[in-house]
Amino acid sequence: MIRNIKLYFSFLVASLKRMMEYRVDCLVGMVSQIAFQIIELVFIWIIFQHTDNIAGWNFEQLLLLYGIMMLSISITDLLFDSTYDIGKRLIRKGKFDTILLRPVHPLISVLGESETSTALGYMILSIVLIVSMLIKLHISITVLLIIKILYFGILGGFIIGGIQTIFSIAGFWTYKSNEVVWSVFQLHKLAEYPIEIYNRFIRILITIILPFAFASYYPAVDYLEIEQNYIIYIVPLITIIIWIIAVSVWNWALKKYRSTGN
Amino acid sequence: MINKILAIAKQNAKEGLYYRFDLLLYIFNFIIEITVYVFIWLAIYNKGNQILGMTFEQVTTYYILVVSLNPIISWGINETMGNAIREGEILRELLNPISYFNYYFGIRIGELIESIIVGIITFIICALLFGVLLPSSLLNFIFFIIVISLSVVVVYFFELIIGTSAFYTNSIWGVEVFKRAILSIFSGMIAPISLFPEFLQKIANTLPFKDCIYTPISIYFGELNNIEIIQVILKQFIWILILYIIAKILFNKAVKSVTVNGG
Repeated sequence: MIRNIKLYFSFLVASLKRMMEYRVDCLVGMVSQIAFQIIELVFIWIIFQHTDNIAGWNFEQLLLLYGIMMLSISITDLLFDSTYDIGKRLIRKGKFDTILLRPVHPLISVLGESETSTALGYMILSIVLIVSMLIKLHISITVLLIIKILYFGILGGFIIGGIQTIFSIAGFWTYKSNEVVWSVFQLHKLAEYPIEIYNRFIRILITIILPFAFASYYPAVDYLEIEQNYIIYIVPLITIIIWIIAVSVWNWALKKYRSTGN
Repeated sequence: MINKILAIAKQNAKEGLYYRFDLLLYIFNFIIEITVYVFIWLAIYNKGNQILGMTFEQVTTYYILVVSLNPIISWGINETMGNAIREGEILRELLNPISYFNYYFGIRIGELIESIIVGIITFIICALLFGVLLPSSLLNFIFFIIVISLSVVVVYFFELIIGTSAFYTNSIWGVEVFKRAILSIFSGMIAPISLFPEFLQKIANTLPFKDCIYTPISIYFGELNNIEIIQVILKQFIWILILYIIAKILFNKAVKSVTVNGG
């Protein structure tokens, strides 16, 4: 286990270094990701020209929630970006066979190949949003709060990353760039807003079936001290469950795997 | 000439429709997008707010139309064009027996066939899920279609202008994002332009992109009279001419200074 984790990080550092070679691409990726998010922030801003709260959440609280989701996303993007194109990059070209031969679980090798230029964009934006909104909401930024935000940010990143890993096995059969993972990832948009606005079906979807809400909504409720909530204590448990499922699903897919090569 | 354009369009559409499963996932993504919008507005309307004379049904219909029109307006040629320039394909394209502008117009029409299918299916599913208002009259619906068709041409020349920058930068990503940001804000994709603060409304009124989304939807609702609609159509023709001339000038300049990879 420890060995696997160590190997994962050495793979990851290697691929991030490889990516850093292309500085312009990195910069463009970062800036464009911020631009995309700003479109959404303009939408929120326009809405608040016509109302002072959405389901009891005011403008600053909503942006804090948004920032927390961005932080989780940045972690997912940094660590699990390679779940997107397993089919196209590895399976179709037969490169996956070489990964199978390595004396390490293939999932570790695959996840370690993440190279992303957009994570930094998400991270910068999330930090700016979280810090400025905490100040505006007069929430004192204590060491404990910073640790909490980082802790739940990382766990949130692992929750979303785990969900992506589960669906990434589609690449074993589609052999191409994985639109399935992208579509599932898009569901995080639902959890960028307070879950009170949704009907029961969507609430169940984003808290129980695909628990995106634990990467944004529940931590936000805790920081805002809206109500005493104990649900936040089960976040680590949920992360572990998601990853147990992810690893099992992967092992199952590996058994079914047939090489495309000759 | 039209035959050539249509032949290219057909070829391109066939390639696109080959990936039918992807189209289904695009539709799924659009439905998620609408869901977020609808529930946010529902939360606002639930408090008894009346927003600038729009009813909740109108807002829902607005977003369903936005998302159904989104692929038609914003899926463009920029990715194809950028890749062609980066990989040196551009040399062959310039030597084609069909002019570069016509060739890419064919590709744009091919994409359009794909995006119309996605748009219509999205519209039908969302209409069943959330309920939708029908067009105010048959005449208005015909005008709606005409204005959107002209918008595709307006956006096509805008895409050519954006795409030309790839001759210099070799990477189209940055400008592509710039294009999408401008389009989604100033066409009224994120919210009806009438709800924008005044200074943003002023910018939106001077740019041609408002007529891609916001204006056709207003026509759909019957908020514009026939004279106003004719004015919009005339304005679109003028924009097509202006953007065509700009695109032509920039493109001719860029081709002269072209240094292509592997050539």
